[in-house]
Amino acid sequence: MTKLDVDERWDLIDKISKKTVTFGEYKHTLKDAIGELTVKPLTGIPIAIAVLYGFWSFFSSFAGFFTDGFFVKLFDEHWLLWLQEIFPGKESWLYYIFVGDPSATNCFEAFGVLTSGFFVAIGVVLPAIVAFYLILTLLEDSGYLPRLAVLIDTILHRIGLHGYAIVPTILSLGCNVPAVAATRVLETRKERFIMMTILAIFIPCGAQLGIMKEVIPDTMGFVIFYLFMGYLIFGFILNKIIPGKTPEMLIDVPPYQMPTAQNVGRKLWMRTSSFFKVALPFVLLGCVIVNVLYLTGFIAWMGDILSPLFIGWFGVPSETAGPLIAAFLRKDLAVAQLSAIEMTRYQMISAVVLVSIYFPCVATFAMMLREGWKELLGSIAVLAMVVTLYGGLLHLIWILLGVA
Amino acid sequence: MKILLMGHPNVGKSVLFNRLTGANVIESNYPGTTIDYTKGYMRVGGEEVEVIDVPGTFSLDPKDKAEEVAVKMLHESRDATVICVIDASKIERGLYLVLEIVEEGYSVAIALNMWDVAEDKNIKIDVVNLERILGVPVVSTTAISGEGIKELVSRSRGTAPVEVDDIFERVED
Amino acid sequence: MEKKISEMNYNEEAIVKSIDEDLKLKVAGMGIRVGKNLKMITKHPMKGPVVVSVDGANTSLGLGVADKIIVEIE
Ligand SMILES: Nc1nc2c(ncn2[C@@H]2O[C@H](COP(=O)(O)OP(=O)(O)OP(=O)(O)O)[C@@H](O)[C@H]2O)c(=O)[nH]1
Ligand SMILES: [Mg+2]
Repeated sequence: MTKLDVDERWDLIDKISKKTVTFGEYKHTLKDAIGELTVKPLTGIPIAIAVLYGFWSFFSSFAGFFTDGFFVKLFDEHWLLWLQEIFPGKESWLYYIFVGDPSATNCFEAFGVLTSGFFVAIGVVLPAIVAFYLILTLLEDSGYLPRLAVLIDTILHRIGLHGYAIVPTILSLGCNVPAVAATRVLETRKERFIMMTILAIFIPCGAQLGIMKEVIPDTMGFVIFYLFMGYLIFGFILNKIIPGKTPEMLIDVPPYQMPTAQNVGRKLWMRTSSFFKVALPFVLLGCVIVNVLYLTGFIAWMGDILSPLFIGWFGVPSETAGPLIAAFLRKDLAVAQLSAIEMTRYQMISAVVLVSIYFPCVATFAMMLREGWKELLGSIAVLAMVVTLYGGLLHLIWILLGVA
Repeated sequence: MKILLMGHPNVGKSVLFNRLTGANVIESNYPGTTIDYTKGYMRVGGEEVEVIDVPGTFSLDPKDKAEEVAVKMLHESRDATVICVIDASKIERGLYLVLEIVEEGYSVAIALNMWDVAEDKNIKIDVVNLERILGVPVVSTTAISGEGIKELVSRSRGTAPVEVDDIFERVED
Repeated sequence: MEKKISEMNYNEEAIVKSIDEDLKLKVAGMGIRVGKNLKMITKHPMKGPVVVSVDGANTSLGLGVADKIIVEIE
């Protein structure tokens, strides 16, 4: 069998093309004009900012509309009251695990499997996930993402990545698990390692964003800003210390296309339902485990042991031990749990930041393991450093501002 | 029978795969959507046919892990019929991958997908002549509307490997 | 006149003259080969990427790539 070399192959293609293809006069269309406007820096950057801002506004108003406008009432005024009434044995441990604190007046504080578990999963996370995936799908299907990649390439080069790393980054704002898999489109091991590590540490997932909006609506902006700075700072450091190369970006910028309702609907359904298949069992299981750990006194014991670290170094109450254990299973659950702990506004910010950066959730962890255990160990080492330094730094900032 | 869908990123392989098998893999308008392989099945005249969707690749010389998946799957499927999915509006670069696969001795059929886009861009392709020169079935398709898919399936049956030397001869005629 | 892709001006058209050996195969995947006609769509400041159009399709090249492809302006 004859094998051709690269040039011979192209010569043959040229010959074939001459005989079979005619390129007619190409007319510039409105679509092309918009395509160019959104990729040129002077017009493209303001448009990108507007698009991302629009993304955020839609996300928070959509999720807020359903959570605050509907689910909070449903769960606090009906579901919780009803459960508290019909569930037998207020003093029993079964009641504690399933309904939670008998004196609770809302589903955040109760922390039972049937109360907080369902409320977090359905009342808070579901609307957030639906809102996120709706916009993500529009961005994907229209063909905007490659343009965003071109616009952000210069910045991402500073942290050892190139523009295309925006794809895993944006995917991970929905869920870190598919985002870790999406790092496969990056060419070098160095790039993949940096991307996987900083997204697992710094990027909050959709579920976490949804719950943060409920628990810390006023200070959420700061938390996100702090995480985003961490993404850049530690990306910059990793780029300096990890050997290897960052290749240049080389991507097709496809023409814009109108997303079809059918494909958007189908993707939304697929992603939401598969998210729930994974998330719901973990949220419920997480509630059970955490409640059992509370009942057995394990969390109080952990809190005592770790209190010098928590209080002295991170400046958060020692009760934070409970949510941090829950955070390994589900970060949304952990943030919900924080809302029931007595603390100042600044301690709350620190605690939410800690929950975010301290460990990837178990599903992400499993996915990272699939991509390679050496990388995973490396990521964990980076993570330990980041938590200690970047978590401690926030405490230092509060001390310097005189609020801790 | 086994069919493997190969082609550059973002040419419509996953759309085609979903159409053929009724599966629900993710399709999006950016290169690099699919990062792992998916197997599905379809019935053709009473026969169960396995169809595999893989990540897009530019050549058989993979440059990232996603492309590795595609090339590995190709090499593990020596007996498969390879449907090369080409973006008809970028036909020349698509043919590069086709030649690479033909040279390795696979039975190939070509889907000239995004036919609607090529028409909009005023690109005219002489499908009959292309098929004669290459010696493999060439079918124009528009995967999103389903046009040409039936023909693609029926034409993909009974393809046989071709020699590059013969292609050289036929292109001179 | 010969220059690098990275030195082309907005909207300028040119024909590819030569490509760095290491890059040949990689950029060929994007439709860029010797003899092809290119049009500059946009250049990003601060060592940013360029976007060129080849056969009516847009492709983005990092500056490091755009520096290694020589074109001829007619
Ligand atoms: N106009 C038009 N668009 C199409 C056609 N086929 C697919 N598309 C669109 O092209 C885009 C890419 O389709 P996919 O099926 O995801 O592409 P793929 O080849 O699987 O891409 P990768 O998974 O990245 O390798 C989607 O937005 C489709 O809607 C077609 O025949 N005509
Ligand atoms: Mg695909």
